[in-house]
Amino acid sequence: MTRRKALTIGSQALGGLAGAAIILPAVGFAVAPIFHRGKERWEKVGPVGDFVEDTYRQVVFTETEGIGDAGKQTAYVRKSSAELEEEPGKFVAVSNRCAHLGCPVRFVEAAGNFICPCHGGVYDFQGRRIGGPPVRPLDQFQTRVRNGQVEVGPRYSVTNQLDPVRARDPGEFTGGIWEYLYPPRPSTFPAP
Amino acid sequence: MKPKDKQAYLEEYELLKKKGKPFFPYAVMKDSTMALIVVAVIIVMSLILGAEQGPKADPTTTTYVPRPEWYFFFLFEVLRVIKPPELVPLATIGIPTICMVLLLLLPFYDRNPERRPERRPLATTAGCLTIAAMAYLTYLGATGGSPTEIEMKVAPQYEAGKEVVAGAGCLACHKIGENGNNGPGPELTHIGARIPRAAIVRSVEIGPGIMPSFRELPQKKLDELADFLSSLH
Amino acid sequence: MAKLRDAIIPAPLRKVAKPGTTPPKGPAPSDLKTSPPQRKGDLDAALEKAKEAPVETVAWLDQRLGASGFLTGMLYRKVPKGTNWFYTLGSATLFAFIVQATTGVFLAMFYTPSATQAYASISHINNEVPLGQFVHGMHKWGSSVMVILIFLHMGRTFFFGAYKYPRELNWVIGVVLLILTMTMAFTGYLLPFDQRSFWASIVGININGTGPIVGPYLSDFLRAGPELGATTLSRFYAIHMLLIPGAIIALIGAHLYLVVKLGTTAPPWVKAERPKIASPVAELEAGAENGRGNGYVNGYERSDGSDGTGATPA
Repeated sequence: MTRRKALTIGSQALGGLAGAAIILPAVGFAVAPIFHRGKERWEKVGPVGDFVEDTYRQVVFTETEGIGDAGKQTAYVRKSSAELEEEPGKFVAVSNRCAHLGCPVRFVEAAGNFICPCHGGVYDFQGRRIGGPPVRPLDQFQTRVRNGQVEVGPRYSVTNQLDPVRARDPGEFTGGIWEYLYPPRPSTFPAP
Repeated sequence: MKPKDKQAYLEEYELLKKKGKPFFPYAVMKDSTMALIVVAVIIVMSLILGAEQGPKADPTTTTYVPRPEWYFFFLFEVLRVIKPPELVPLATIGIPTICMVLLLLLPFYDRNPERRPERRPLATTAGCLTIAAMAYLTYLGATGGSPTEIEMKVAPQYEAGKEVVAGAGCLACHKIGENGNNGPGPELTHIGARIPRAAIVRSVEIGPGIMPSFRELPQKKLDELADFLSSLH
Repeated sequence: MAKLRDAIIPAPLRKVAKPGTTPPKGPAPSDLKTSPPQRKGDLDAALEKAKEAPVETVAWLDQRLGASGFLTGMLYRKVPKGTNWFYTLGSATLFAFIVQATTGVFLAMFYTPSATQAYASISHINNEVPLGQFVHGMHKWGSSVMVILIFLHMGRTFFFGAYKYPRELNWVIGVVLLILTMTMAFTGYLLPFDQRSFWASIVGININGTGPIVGPYLSDFLRAGPELGATTLSRFYAIHMLLIPGAIIALIGAHLYLVVKLGTTAPPWVKAERPKIASPVAELEAGAENGRGNGYVNGYERSDGSDGTGATPA
């Protein structure tokens, strides 16, 4: 070990430490939101009597607070339907974001379908995809009833059989092997 | 490239440089003129076209039709025409990534020392086809309309039916005139000439194949819809 | 006044006149009996000194910076025969970028990157700031112009075969610049925060999310969370203003360095006339001595004005 070699290794080690001390916190700072989960929010959307079984009513609630109008979200809410063999007394809240790439879908009462204006996705009354490029059914929000008011909670995604899974972004397949190819993210809430 | 070709190119290049002119002022003059033209074009576009804001961002909308900026129209059109859900990640990530990698690695798989376009047919053809495809896709993306509006002109008695068709979401799967998507349903621009009115009514009520059934529509709307569609010759 | 060129062009590069051809300096010998030489007054001497000032200044700077060799090498380097207007597309793209950077800086003085105030700040720029809508319009249409120019420049380079040996690295840097430019367009598009911006960005972020395994985390990174939240706009702003322009400027520097070092290509249909005499001197000029492929192809002008083939100059 010559003096020269010792100083070379020493300068590389110290330089590496200094570089890491600057870069790692910066990268951590940028990457941290991936691992942060916000507080669970439940928002009132209307009295129980407002919602019916055979059609959806459009509601607006605040999904992200602190950013004014940009944090609001639209959902379509209805009572659970006995015809479709859903659990009685529950409410179904369907997200208005298309499962293809996130464009806002609209509910067409005449056809009982949801239609996406961007690339022509069509969903049936329960939110299952019946036409166009969407990769899975529409996402839903957890619902509960408090003091006669229907409340809407965190979002979750569903498989093609309408089984709940953790919330995914539009464009990601759900169910089976896709649960591993599109892994659930720490920033989302557990599925009901 | 073989070392012989590399050497030949370097020699040729030296000779061409000898015969050339100094960068300043000859090339700088051309560059300055072009810079002036670029700035003039930007200023003229700003003065004529302005920079008006649209409506404020509203995540709760259900009527807005999102569209990207014009230089992304070719990607948007690719996404629109790839209908089967299994192919969606291919369109969003697969194709663009493959194209970017091909572009990036171009000098490493194109080792032909020839530079004249007329003597490298593969490269020139591929380049021209790519440009033509991107231009065509951009044009299609620009002219593709919203799935809830039918622009074709119809006689006044069919206006009501036209509104029903536009509002019921038929354009999501059918093309009518310039509007709508090219699949998975057949084009309806001339459907009135192809099948009788009764057949149209039956399709709408049953919903053959993957088509949803529209029998929930009120009878009046069903009649208006059938009138409009059977008038399309 | 001493010639500026003589002050800053290094001695080996200066064209030296052949002996016997330069007209002699100084006044013609006059009849000393009838018109004796004038003696310069103080004013004349001062004026003569003032005329020397610009050259003196440049010489002063050059003695301290030592940049004249680099600058003259860059400015007076030869571009090959046949260089035409297509070659201006690259510098036009750079100029469009400079326009974007300048208008962007001025817009940044008025813009607020907050989800609640962004739209209002843009309204303020458009309606109340003098020339605000004009500068905003220049930035908005400048982005389209830059995208068009960069694609035209790429097309020109492709069809002229200018990405081949020895310029492969330049092409790679150029494609990375293209990707960074499209990313600038994508991140900048959200900033006005109107309906079109908002939804186009939502779709763009979700497109990123469809990549397997990494995609969902990439989307979370861009949005700073599972939904578009309070810091999403700030993040896009920081990426658009600081991160990517820094990368673009660094890569443009590398790109231009390679262009100056390797030279621009000639149009592919232009052929060089071969020297008529086969001479070892011609090989020397072609760089065969250092033609081992280390990329050094520039040659300096020979100081006696010949082209090295031994042919008699006209």
